[in-house]
Amino acid sequence: MRYGSCTGPPRTRLELNRGGRRPLNAEGPPASRSRESLPSEQAGQLRGELGFHLLVEAVQDYAIFLLSTEGKVLTWNIGAQRIKGYAADEIIGQHFSRFYTDEDRAADRPGRLLGLARKHGRVEDEGWRVRSDGSRFWADVVVTALRDAGGATYGYVKITRDLTERRASEEQHRNLVAERRAREAAEEALKARDRFLSIASHELKTPVAALQLAADNLVRARGRGRLDDERLGRGLERIVSSTERLGVLVNELLDVSRLTSGSSTIERRPTDVVAVLGEVIGRFAEAVGERRIRLEAPATAVIDGDPSRLDQVFTNLLDNALKYSDPSETVEVAVADDEGGVRISVADRGIGLDEQALDGRFEAFTRGDNVAHVQGLGLGLFISHRIVERHDGRIEGGLRGDGPGSIFRVWLPRPAS
Amino acid sequence: MTTRARVLVIEDDDTLRETLAEVLVDEGHDVRVAAHGAQALEVIGDWQPEIVLLDLMMPVMDAYEFRERQRQLGAALDAKVVILSAARDIAAAASRLEADDWIAKPFGVLEVLDAVDRHLPAAS
Repeated sequence: MRYGSCTGPPRTRLELNRGGRRPLNAEGPPASRSRESLPSEQAGQLRGELGFHLLVEAVQDYAIFLLSTEGKVLTWNIGAQRIKGYAADEIIGQHFSRFYTDEDRAADRPGRLLGLARKHGRVEDEGWRVRSDGSRFWADVVVTALRDAGGATYGYVKITRDLTERRASEEQHRNLVAERRAREAAEEALKARDRFLSIASHELKTPVAALQLAADNLVRARGRGRLDDERLGRGLERIVSSTERLGVLVNELLDVSRLTSGSSTIERRPTDVVAVLGEVIGRFAEAVGERRIRLEAPATAVIDGDPSRLDQVFTNLLDNALKYSDPSETVEVAVADDEGGVRISVADRGIGLDEQALDGRFEAFTRGDNVAHVQGLGLGLFISHRIVERHDGRIEGGLRGDGPGSIFRVWLPRPAS
Repeated sequence: MTTRARVLVIEDDDTLRETLAEVLVDEGHDVRVAAHGAQALEVIGDWQPEIVLLDLMMPVMDAYEFRERQRQLGAALDAKVVILSAARDIAAAASRLEADDWIAKPFGVLEVLDAVDRHLPAAS
């Protein structure tokens, strides 16, 4: 059975060969008719078999055709010709597998699609199809099984849509999105670097100011004949102390830069944090006395970490805790099991650093221009945060809650066993 | 015009604070120091500074909070305030803090002394 003639350019009108009836314009009722309602005969035609014929025939954007149970093309429409390139008389009677690529045919994709349609009633597919001229197009396909009253399949309806253009524009869109993301990431990295430079120069200026003023003061005092030995001694000490601070700061800045850019290596292996803490505390105890730091920990607590970097983190936390609390107060360090990892906390009874100031410290170079600068803490907290992050851990700090002081908690994961 | 003044130095860097104090004492000024805003408020107490050298960023209580509290307490409100800072937008900050002057870090002895000289109290 054929539906209409598909040779020649697509037509938008179907000429009914019925004794001089006016041709029906596919876009609407005959122009000369009034718009009230179609005469009953034409309405009947539209609703009946011919109506479906007209419907299918009129559709240019979809290939709609019937297949026999073996997969032979039984019908054709304008859309099919447009999309697949074959004229009706070229393709009717041929097996529909000729629309498929060699690879698909080798894998029996056509057969499997029919099988799935038979089994489930319908099947959807997307893939490359081949036109009559050998060119490929990206198709969206639906194959529906036609079933008789007994449920047996007696044929298939195949509807194919050419998505090549849409796919190309989707790909273009994806590329644009990827490009934009890359550009945004680069811009963000540049901004972060600018913030880093800004904060770095800011951090450096105070110790430089201390250094400059101390030296200038000595020169001036000497010029006025007021430089006695005691003054000289004081001045030189200040110069030394500022220079040392500058050295530490420069190293910290380099560390931050390397940690942020990811160029510093962190080698993780099973590491006992209790042992690392023991060493750190031992060093501090030499300087401030044993009684200032109290450690509560199990015999061992092994996590997946880089010992020297962890040493850096614990040193920083203890340094802050000691610096900001009274010499008479004890700093409490605790180690405990916590949800698949180990939690290390450092608590002091000092002046208490509030979370807002801390948030700024942690996020120094990654977010926002408003860094709450807590001078004296240098960049240690930021570095600690970065290191803990690289360990897939978490670090947080804030007021203690149970009285004055701050508490910092570091959570580190255990090695995957 | 008196050449001596009561100067309060509020700066959290120990070395810088001490050196500033020494520089000012050398010039004959009456100097007291504080490491941050909270300490400064304590120091002000009964002693009314005429000039305040104020660092912008300090732990515990920074310059903004200090000025706020100062206003609330009515503490040494007549004192001239000179901001010391490494911040790029120090002039804007000084204006926000209703300060009288500012010096950008790093600075030399003369810059400090000149700033203090500019704001010496008039002879009574």
